[in-house]
Amino acid sequence: MKIVAYPLLFLLMLISLSLSQELSGEDIIQKVNEQINVETSYGKQKMTITTTSGDERTFLFEAWSKERGAKNLIRYMEPKRAKGQATLMLNNADDIWMYFPRTQRVRKLATHAKRQKMEGSDFSYEDMGSGDAFIDDFDAKRLEDEEMEGHDCYKIELTRKSESDLSYSRLIMWVIKENFVPIVIDYYDEDDPNLAEKRLVQSNIEIIDDIPTAMKAIMYNKNDNSKTELEIVEIRFNVQLDDAMFTERALKK
Amino acid sequence: MNKVILVFLYIILIFFSVQGQDLIEIFGYFETQAMGSHFKSTFYQLYSNKLRVDLQSLPSDQVNFAANFDYITYHGKTKWNVLDFLSQDITSTIPEEMVALYTIEFTDDIFLDNAYLKLSFKQFDLVAGKQQISLGTGYVWNPTDIFNIRDPLDPTYEQPGHNGVRLDIPLGNLYSASFLYSPEDSWENSGKLIRIKGNIGHFDYSFVAIETRWMFHDYMLFDYEKMNFAEAPEKRQLLGTSVVGELLGLGVWAEYAYNIMGKTNNFYEIVVGGDYTFDFYTYVMLELYRNTLAKADYKSYNLNDWMRLFSAEQKTVTRDQLYYYIQHPITDFSDIGISAIYSISDASIALVPTLRHSFSNNVEIFAYINFNFGKEGTAYAQSQGKGGLLRARIYF
Repeated sequence: MKIVAYPLLFLLMLISLSLSQELSGEDIIQKVNEQINVETSYGKQKMTITTTSGDERTFLFEAWSKERGAKNLIRYMEPKRAKGQATLMLNNADDIWMYFPRTQRVRKLATHAKRQKMEGSDFSYEDMGSGDAFIDDFDAKRLEDEEMEGHDCYKIELTRKSESDLSYSRLIMWVIKENFVPIVIDYYDEDDPNLAEKRLVQSNIEIIDDIPTAMKAIMYNKNDNSKTELEIVEIRFNVQLDDAMFTERALKK
Repeated sequence: MNKVILVFLYIILIFFSVQGQDLIEIFGYFETQAMGSHFKSTFYQLYSNKLRVDLQSLPSDQVNFAANFDYITYHGKTKWNVLDFLSQDITSTIPEEMVALYTIEFTDDIFLDNAYLKLSFKQFDLVAGKQQISLGTGYVWNPTDIFNIRDPLDPTYEQPGHNGVRLDIPLGNLYSASFLYSPEDSWENSGKLIRIKGNIGHFDYSFVAIETRWMFHDYMLFDYEKMNFAEAPEKRQLLGTSVVGELLGLGVWAEYAYNIMGKTNNFYEIVVGGDYTFDFYTYVMLELYRNTLAKADYKSYNLNDWMRLFSAEQKTVTRDQLYYYIQHPITDFSDIGISAIYSISDASIALVPTLRHSFSNNVEIFAYINFNFGKEGTAYAQSQGKGGLLRARIYF
């Protein structure tokens, strides 16, 4: 048995190694996208913004997502100042509506608002609700593999397609080989592809509903020297979500 | 004073009766505000303190109860005579014994601002009680909104609740129909509204029809029996439309309303606006507004026009206006801005630099100062003086 098993294992390792070497940048980003953009999800997240001067603001919000991240609804629970405020993002954040509970007013924002900081954080609306943007808006090229944050990673470069209106000219992404979690992403300036604007570092990977999930993400803003930490308090994937949840009516609930 | 004690007793009663049930959430804010105005070589101050207490209960997925009480106290110069701000052409016509009648007084108040029950089902939402009614897509001016009038110096400040029964029916995920009945003493005098909302591409649009009784006053006639200015109510029917979306990368919106009046001349209002956020986070907005109820020649602005403006009976005294706003974040928690309100009709302008800062998670301040640069008698006349406001708010 042993005599048969060892060559088989060796053969499997060789196949796996050759497969990993053959994965193109497009293959890798496809797998990353499939993993991070689950059909539906519900989560509760804590967002902590830290400014250059060390000031902190903390938000707690619930987020619902459908159609692989193309539809998103975010509703703030804390702080009291923002309680009940909600943001609906459809069509990969091309359509954004904001709801203010004290005036019960809904305001539609144009796509330029995608670039605005979400509640003053280092995440833009575009960062939070762009669905399949990694594959729809970028061309991927595999670079030389590197170790990053203690993980053996694929390194890929995503260059914005000419027809895309996303506000990053390119991204450099380090993807853990073992589970396809993008552990670090560098975001480059819209006009200067050599100017790194922000870096996202993910950590605390747990398997939730069979999906490797980074429970913590920190966005470092190199321009402002600030950072925003997103921590998942609760997450569920492939939950039942009605389309009616992603309407102006649901926004005002 | 008795009213204040009674309402406080009522709040305390509700508070303790619901605390045990663990069903009602209590939150709100305290706001303290200082306002100043410098005119005729004197600086006047008015301070106010406002406590807003919100109650909310969600006993089930279908039922939502929400309410808030506001308690406001005023200090400093609480009596302002409108005539002090008007041109001599107007004030010289007022008999001496009537001058005191044009005083607006800020008095301490406690009131139930909003209180409603909302029932939500798959087929419809029904909201009954005092509630926020927000219509239209304009930022400063909303031609289709007959319920609220915004202050151009502070256009995002919350509006009072309005009594009514409202039914919202979703028609698929893209369309909806809304019906509102705002009862008065009779069906004829009550407010009635029908609105259809829809979506095409990146545009949301709506059509609205409203009928109401508009309560004007004639500020040149004093009714000594009622000890108030003579009422001049009239029927108002409004047909309007609004749209908001995106064009060539700009956020754009427009709103139009045609008003059919029972006694006076029909008039229309229109707003067209656009906004943009630059990559460096600077936000700019422009809004153009025409209201044909208002006058194009400032020499014909009369006492009624001004009093109706100050009493929030009409939106403006001047026909064509332009609002411009630019804002830029100076830190993650602060932004500065400046708005300019320009009357195209009378060539007067108000400049309003603003500052917003969030001190901590639940404390924020807002401040503005305003300078007017118009000729005497115009909408933003320099003779009205300059002023400012500093507001701090803590949420709990």
